[in-house]
Amino acid sequence: MKLKKVAATLLASAMILSLAACGKDTNSGSGSGSNNTDLKSEKITLNMWCIATESDSNRHSYEEAIKEMKAEYPDITLNWEAFENQSYKTKIKAAVAADELPDIFFTWSCAFLGDFVNAGKVYCLDDTYQAYKSELPEVMMGNSTYNGKHYGVPLTMNIVGLFANMDLLKEAGYTEIPGTYDEFIACCDALKAKGIIPFGCAGSETWCVTEYLESVIEKSVGADALNDIFLGRATWNNAEVGKAVDTFQKMVNDGYFDPNGISLKNDEVKNNFMAGKYAFYMNGTWNCADFANDPNFFPKVKVAEFPVINSGAAKLGQLIGGPSDTLAVAASSKNAAAAAKYTFELGKKICHYGYLDGCGLPAWTPYGDTSSVNGLTQAVSEICAKADSYVLFGDTAMNADEANTYLDYVAQVYGCQIDGAGFIKGLSKDIR
Amino acid sequence: MRDKIYKNVTIFFFLLPALLLFVGVLIYPIFMSAYYSFFDLRSVSTTNMPFYGIKNYIELFTSGSISFWKALGNSLLLAILSVFLQLPLSLGLALMLGKGIKGERAFLSIYFMPVLISTVVIGQLWRKIYNPDYGILNAVLSLMGIEGAMPLGGWLGNVKSALWCVFIPTLWQYVGYHMLLMYAGVRSVSPELREAAKLDGATDAQVDWYVVIPCIKNILRVSVIFAVTGSLKSFDLIYVLTEGGPLHATEVPSTLMINMLFLRNRYGMGSTIAVLMILLCFAFALLISAAFKEREYYGRKKHT
Repeated sequence: MKLKKVAATLLASAMILSLAACGKDTNSGSGSGSNNTDLKSEKITLNMWCIATESDSNRHSYEEAIKEMKAEYPDITLNWEAFENQSYKTKIKAAVAADELPDIFFTWSCAFLGDFVNAGKVYCLDDTYQAYKSELPEVMMGNSTYNGKHYGVPLTMNIVGLFANMDLLKEAGYTEIPGTYDEFIACCDALKAKGIIPFGCAGSETWCVTEYLESVIEKSVGADALNDIFLGRATWNNAEVGKAVDTFQKMVNDGYFDPNGISLKNDEVKNNFMAGKYAFYMNGTWNCADFANDPNFFPKVKVAEFPVINSGAAKLGQLIGGPSDTLAVAASSKNAAAAAKYTFELGKKICHYGYLDGCGLPAWTPYGDTSSVNGLTQAVSEICAKADSYVLFGDTAMNADEANTYLDYVAQVYGCQIDGAGFIKGLSKDIR
Repeated sequence: MRDKIYKNVTIFFFLLPALLLFVGVLIYPIFMSAYYSFFDLRSVSTTNMPFYGIKNYIELFTSGSISFWKALGNSLLLAILSVFLQLPLSLGLALMLGKGIKGERAFLSIYFMPVLISTVVIGQLWRKIYNPDYGILNAVLSLMGIEGAMPLGGWLGNVKSALWCVFIPTLWQYVGYHMLLMYAGVRSVSPELREAAKLDGATDAQVDWYVVIPCIKNILRVSVIFAVTGSLKSFDLIYVLTEGGPLHATEVPSTLMINMLFLRNRYGMGSTIAVLMILLCFAFALLISAAFKEREYYGRKKHT
């Protein structure tokens, strides 16, 4: 019952996603009540690419959903392949350029999918979506809607969470994750004094650095200001952003981050966090699944929202994240219409199992028994239920060229090559 | 006359498959890369691409954020190290094994093994060696009593050490390849020549220097060309180890090209880098061939 409440509040809060176009259909549906007669009579083979590799938190939800789809649609053969996240970005772009997309493909929403849509390589899902409107709120489709047309099926939504190893915090004299920034810094100092590294961050994957930096900027200048910059409505030349970057860099210079993290991959940093090397780990809430699956680590971990740094501009409830993981259908698919229907059905099931596993919050209206959702994901649901606004991850919100220029400057900040002034000056010159 | 035409047509048809393959796989892509390099192609669609002239080339050499000079410098440094470190080492091993030492075949297999292993596997292996937490390098240094040798940020995370740490496995991997080329040359040197030199009182080193090495000069030239062009287009191992980071410290033209093409969607700029890489490889291959010819000419002149 409590879960249903949380899910309902979550969907209500999603309505105010600042990026998304507003939809009106929020009727909660249960089960798969859509018209599938056409799909059941099809005898076709579909190919799909995704990033749910064996080590990916989402792997289990894909496997379960595909197994269920196979039972429901025995005449449809799905050949699916999974690739590592970073290399997939290269592979999918090469496939788009060569017009060799599989029928169904995983993509990130906003600018990433937008490039493919602009090139006319993605099948429009407007007609198919009509049958799923009651189960998939229009607001969740916002990040994959271009010129009023829908091109993607969202799976889960995630935010950046501040994960804490409570055993280590206890050693430093803290029983809860500090709620204010001053207390938080004091906690980091106490951890350092005990010889515990406060933060783990994978410097060799710059998106991991943005999970920290964007949270610091958002809690310094406010969600609206950051959103305006990401979406091209304001310049990067904002002195307050510069100050926020300096605040982040001070944390680096004060030794709060593992100095060796700069050469590590995210998987390595996550394993270090789970092994008790760091007290805090800021990353996407899709990690809840992996944390929940480790019986030794799960009782130790808690999740919270990053504290407010400048209460004059920012407040609690302003979060980084939103629905980004999406499935899309290739315009070149010989069975595009059937693939579109299949994608909605599959997306709904992946979302369902992903939510049960704790890989993220549901973009679709939850159905069936969701009482087994782990406590960590429930805590994330509660944070989202209180959310005021969301700012989508910077490298997803911006187009590819701008996103990589931005990541380049973020890496320079983390490597202490430039300060806040250099960051805003460089980005205002190179982007706007 | 009719026979001659028939003969020529037959030759043409026999050559056609190879010609089509050559044009389709090599010439056409190079031509298209050169064509796209003159456009501001920022989307996967080629239907609406503004003509850019040589702006991509100008931007590549003048932009502070693209860091092409740095990438080119790194490649040239790798080429120099290849020629002056990797090849002498390969030659030394080839000369040593060419003498027919005990366990020659086993050594040959061992030295050649890194060439057979996938570069991705080698990259992952070396990532583990350099790992700041459990890496074997730190463990060995610690056993030797050298504590704290690792630079801040780790071997691959420090801007100053990353480049050298990437070069070491890159050079190491292909020592066996060049060694095998040279070994084949060394083994083909006539034993009579060696014996004659020995009878004249030459030491082993003198035999190698004055007899064997001049005999395998053509192979050495091929090795130098492969080493230099290989360095200019080096990619896989660097990409697996650092992806050109940290902060572009290990950037080479190929990683920059991938970055432009598939991360920034700047297909025009990526094509520009590809064209420059092709030109550089051709230029260096010609220069090296010319240098060897020059030496051959002077060598002959000296002896006549």
